[in-house]
Amino acid sequence: MTTTLSSRGWLPKVSAASLAGAVLTMGLTGVVGCLSGSDSMPRSMSAQFLMWLAVLVWVALLGSCFLFRSGRQAWLVLTGANILVWGVYVLARAAVL
Amino acid sequence: MKIRQDIVSTYRDVHSWVGIISALFLFVAFYAGAISMFEESLQNWLSPPVTLPAPPSLEQTPDLLNRVFEAHPEARENYTIVLNDEAAARQGRVRWSPPGRPHARVPVTVAALDEQGELVSGQLPLSEAARFVDELHQQVGLPLPHEPARLVMGLVALLYSVALISGVIAFLPGLTRMLFAVRADGGARKKWLDFHNLLGVFSLPFHIVMALTSVAFAFHDQIFTMEHFLLSKRGAAIVHPQGRAHGQPHMQQVLLPPVAVRDAVQKQVPGFVPETLTYTLMHGQVALRVAGHDDRYSLRGPTAGFATLNPITGHIVSADYLPGHQSTGFAVLTTFFALHFGSFGGTLVRWGYVVLGLGGAFLFYTGNRLWIASRRRRERSTGLMQETRGTWFLQALTAGCPLGCIAGISAVFCAAPFLSYGGGYVTVSAIYYSIFAVFMISGFIMPPSFALRLQLSVAGFITLYIPFAAALATRPVLMSPTGGSLSLCAVLVGAALVYAGLRRGRES
Repeated sequence: MTTTLSSRGWLPKVSAASLAGAVLTMGLTGVVGCLSGSDSMPRSMSAQFLMWLAVLVWVALLGSCFLFRSGRQAWLVLTGANILVWGVYVLARAAVL
Repeated sequence: MKIRQDIVSTYRDVHSWVGIISALFLFVAFYAGAISMFEESLQNWLSPPVTLPAPPSLEQTPDLLNRVFEAHPEARENYTIVLNDEAAARQGRVRWSPPGRPHARVPVTVAALDEQGELVSGQLPLSEAARFVDELHQQVGLPLPHEPARLVMGLVALLYSVALISGVIAFLPGLTRMLFAVRADGGARKKWLDFHNLLGVFSLPFHIVMALTSVAFAFHDQIFTMEHFLLSKRGAAIVHPQGRAHGQPHMQQVLLPPVAVRDAVQKQVPGFVPETLTYTLMHGQVALRVAGHDDRYSLRGPTAGFATLNPITGHIVSADYLPGHQSTGFAVLTTFFALHFGSFGGTLVRWGYVVLGLGGAFLFYTGNRLWIASRRRRERSTGLMQETRGTWFLQALTAGCPLGCIAGISAVFCAAPFLSYGGGYVTVSAIYYSIFAVFMISGFIMPPSFALRLQLSVAGFITLYIPFAAALATRPVLMSPTGGSLSLCAVLVGAALVYAGLRRGRES
């Protein structure tokens, strides 16, 4: 590790975790929901577990986003993860339906 | 455990900033939340007794119901039967209110029969003071409509979560060596730092639970909508599990009488204490929900667990939220809620949560004081003789907001026994926010140390006065164990504040 982290440049990192992170959280919820065969009935057991999962994932992303070397890296990594996760979601959904 | 120095310092900065933004909101949320642990008891304390004839026995309740439905057909849509005799003596046996959204405040009508068997009904004198404090807790102290307040609360909860994560990363590794050291003689900064660390470490699990559950409470509607969008099968319509045709045609004569319902519940779920039966008319069918508690199990709500019954046979049709009879999955989900509400393990846990809540509020206060002390030290070291506007501003807020909140809530409890119906929502909020505003303004127009002393003493005296106000209003509150303990709490908090105010007076 050559670069030293600092709290400077927090805004792009936090915005990446808030926006791209939220979209990523949705994608993950979708993937886990599809794979676990969750029904989408509000307040059903699986819907509630997924809700807590979403909370946990988003909070973890917000808490760890400061570890990215730069805001650019944060956006790149999270965008990449989004493409991957949403790709899996589309496949999983096609398989389930 | 060794964490790279640059990571530690990054997270230390993050911790200071998210902390300073959210601390004052969190103080209000935790202080009001700690008080809300006894919302029900406080409501009973502050509400004047019902001025109706004595409630009928549960066996005679069907007569009363028939008279109610004759005179007030709209009552059929949403009415509640109180099973517990003591509670019925206080709040009436049968009450009803227009069906509304969960957060709408609607008047509750209560009814009884007089000696001639005539129907007597009136508005239930329900103090809204305790409910107001609960909403203050839910809305982190903001006088906003419910929806926008919830978004702000969600934002504060996210900041709070990040503050926890960053606090753990930045401070936990170096903390073990100085955990129990509270250096009272090391200057203001060290004292506040040690307090902050001690409180933070020992209540960390509590704070993790609170942070995650409040994020969930803030955003669950959006998340459920998103889930529905992502996961619904083609053409499937939303069906609420509770709404699925559990009920039967609404004809009062075929419904099982309340005594039989109570017996059926006790037979099916021994150990569960049913408190109320709520009948709701939905899509032309009657749904029956029984609320109650079982001290051996966690409860889904702040004070109760629930079951849905068939109103004609008394059979339980949904035990998803019934303590001790949930499936493992629902029991786990209930645990998340119970850990937020402290609704497990009975009274002792409730008092534990009061202590943790007050400790949490104090944690945020110490965080702010620490920030001020550090800033001042840095400013002095650069040769500034006077503190900067930023420090002064934060100092005024740090004193005015928490003490204004304490004084405002205490004033509400002092006034409520003397107000009509034990204090309506509007009156009570007017009292709270005017006191709160006076405290906030006083911090900015008076010299800081004088303002703090005054605020501490005034907030302390108002809090001390709460039990006396109850005694003056001749509420038999001091006699009950909970009422007596709550009064004792008010005296202790009040005395601590007055003492802090006097001590600061001697120091300066």
